[in-house]
Amino acid sequence: MIFTSFNFLIFFPLVIIIYFILPERWRWKFLLISSGYFYINIKPIYAILLLLVILTTYIFTRLIDGTDSPGRKKTFLVIDIILTLLPLFFFKYYNFVNDATFNLLETAHLRWPLPEISWLLPIGISYYTFMALGYSIDVYNEEIPAEKNFGIVALFLSFFPLVLSGPIERAPNMLPQFKGKLIFNYYKLVKGLQWILWGYFMKLVVANRVGMYVNAIFNNINEHNGKSLFVATLLYPIQVYADLGGYSLIAIGCAKVMGIDVMQNFNRPFFATSMSDFWRRWHISLISWLTDYVYMPLAFNFRRFKIWGIVIALMITFILSGLWHGANLTFIVWGTMQGIFLSIEALTNKKKKAFVRKYNLLQKGWYLFTCSVFTYLLFAFSEIFGGASESVTAGFLTIKKIFTDFRGDVWYENPSMIIITSISILILFVVEFKAEYYKGQFSFFGNRSVAVRFLSYAFLIIMILLIGVLDGGQFIYFQF
Amino acid sequence: MINKIKNNIYVLVLIKLALLFAIVFLVDFSVGHLLRYLYFSQQSGNLYRTTYSLEKTKSNLLIFGSSTANHEYSPKIFENRLHISSYNTGRDGTSIFYQYAILKGVLKRYSPKMIVLNFDLDEFKKNPASYDRISTLLPYYKNHPEIRSIINMKSSEERIKLCSRIYPFNSMLFTILVGNTEFNKERRKDFQGFVPLKKVFDRELDTGYYPEEALDVNKIRIYKSFIWDCIHSNVKLYIVCSPFYHELKNTPNSVILGEKIAHENNIRFFNFLNDTSLTNHPSYFADMNHLNYEGAEVFSNKLIDTLMTNEEDDQP
Repeated sequence: MIFTSFNFLIFFPLVIIIYFILPERWRWKFLLISSGYFYINIKPIYAILLLLVILTTYIFTRLIDGTDSPGRKKTFLVIDIILTLLPLFFFKYYNFVNDATFNLLETAHLRWPLPEISWLLPIGISYYTFMALGYSIDVYNEEIPAEKNFGIVALFLSFFPLVLSGPIERAPNMLPQFKGKLIFNYYKLVKGLQWILWGYFMKLVVANRVGMYVNAIFNNINEHNGKSLFVATLLYPIQVYADLGGYSLIAIGCAKVMGIDVMQNFNRPFFATSMSDFWRRWHISLISWLTDYVYMPLAFNFRRFKIWGIVIALMITFILSGLWHGANLTFIVWGTMQGIFLSIEALTNKKKKAFVRKYNLLQKGWYLFTCSVFTYLLFAFSEIFGGASESVTAGFLTIKKIFTDFRGDVWYENPSMIIITSISILILFVVEFKAEYYKGQFSFFGNRSVAVRFLSYAFLIIMILLIGVLDGGQFIYFQF
Repeated sequence: MINKIKNNIYVLVLIKLALLFAIVFLVDFSVGHLLRYLYFSQQSGNLYRTTYSLEKTKSNLLIFGSSTANHEYSPKIFENRLHISSYNTGRDGTSIFYQYAILKGVLKRYSPKMIVLNFDLDEFKKNPASYDRISTLLPYYKNHPEIRSIINMKSSEERIKLCSRIYPFNSMLFTILVGNTEFNKERRKDFQGFVPLKKVFDRELDTGYYPEEALDVNKIRIYKSFIWDCIHSNVKLYIVCSPFYHELKNTPNSVILGEKIAHENNIRFFNFLNDTSLTNHPSYFADMNHLNYEGAEVFSNKLIDTLMTNEEDDQP
């Protein structure tokens, strides 16, 4: 059951009604049962993996918390990390490592083939594995005590709005909420429903619609000219943003309706004026996780190398981020590119800041606009290796064609496709622009007039019915 | 009373939700009705041709199939040589589900004398998109009970989704609007349903094996139903596999099975997949899967020659 399935539209309202009918003390237990049902409904066999990760996390966090010996604490943490990562490695990276090893050995004329695994990647494994690891490290660092109630830990790692595609939440934020009073809150209910509605619009109308064009181009790179590939390259970040951003918003909205606050995952990334600004706005839950548990410890360890220590930490963090996104050489190239962009910014940061301050550029619209466009272009071109192309060779061919193949016109299936896609992107950008630069003004969802609010809701629902791509689209981030 | 309601937050939420549903229902009902009216008043385009095939055509020879059928069979040539009125019901991106629905709509009104069903080389391939594309038939759910069983194959929730009046016309807004304009008739002209392709494929002929594909039992079942319905209605059915610009070293498993089922039911199955008189001429092709205008003319004539030869052979 995914958020965009018809079953979810039945499941969620039912859960909400029962959830609020039940006495408060029963609510978290009901959420745990609902989450279990939600995950089992996708593929029952993979629920066993989730259960194993929950058990490992519960047992080892209790062991870490229960001992005073730093050595034993560290040993427990290492075993915990290895056991938690094992299913992820097995399902996601085994084939990749196997192939890489085989190819490496073959260069030395050694043939040692191991069987390939053809099982599907369990949905959400990258997300709940990182949530589990984060919790264990937090307990190890004594940020929070180990939770004694197994059910609460199980709920944290299997909470149905988050289990499939995040946001990658943290135990210090979620555990107290599950243990506290889960009460009905009218403001949160309305806010949650608004986010769900906007999330569906982003996913069904924008992402799926743009995705149809982008997939048609990137699945047939050889057949398309440079102009079409350039347009698809520009559109791909919008597709990914509307896809994961929309899905995250539905997840955050569902939790909010139940009175649970979940961290923001995107913050209008296309208005970022630099790559470092961009990564503070894009997939925030993943980047903040990597910052806290990978980048910061690395930067601390490499502090003797001064600025170059930061560069090394950035490169390692983003290569890992690439690997998290997919077990493919393309994602390593993608991660390396992000690392290089951010390293260049880190190395030139002081001079850039002085220059900007000298000419008061932050107050100039044209400067901010140019920076946003440049940042968008950098990210869009890096995304050729971040999921758009299926291989590094295809990625380089795409770039080559963009700069050399000027034959023919931009491909499109029919004028209707251009009109609908343009309308959907325009609505998204107008709403984001307003939220970025005119916060609190011309609000539709937050308007004081009930009529304006209700007509806005109705407009979005009708738009989804009218121009949403309601089936056939697969959620891109499930592969991560 | 009003104060009591205002104080009960649950009741307030329910009232507001009911109000929202009422607004959505009203808008959906009005816009849906307008779209329905505009949909059925189109005079050209893909959507119009589906309506025409299902509700209006009276031709004695009908061509069925997906894009290959639509772009490769010229009814005019069939009319001139066989002296029988013809119409091409083929539509891009469709599968046997769509074709069977059109057949049911036609047979409800009359029995054509002859049907040519174009068989794609991946006709039985398991592909979820084939089910999604049944959505092209949603506008006809209301007035065509005979095709509802096919539409319900799309998903078990289709009947509930159809409570929305807009849903059957999802993503069709601009196509419907354009279909009501005069210029659309000239934009991509059809000749009795046949839409010729103008492009010329400039590639060398590749050679290779066609991959083994998982087959969809529903598609096989519907294909058999198509054959049986034609037999029961005394319609002369020919099944044709049109040329493919690729020298195949094996026959796709869909084609093997399709041919076997046809033979079991005494239906002629003509396989032009590797016909060198066509595949040796890249100028006949618009792309790997489709013949262009010139190719369609050559192919239509060649098929008619084959049909006529077989007719003579069949005669006692």
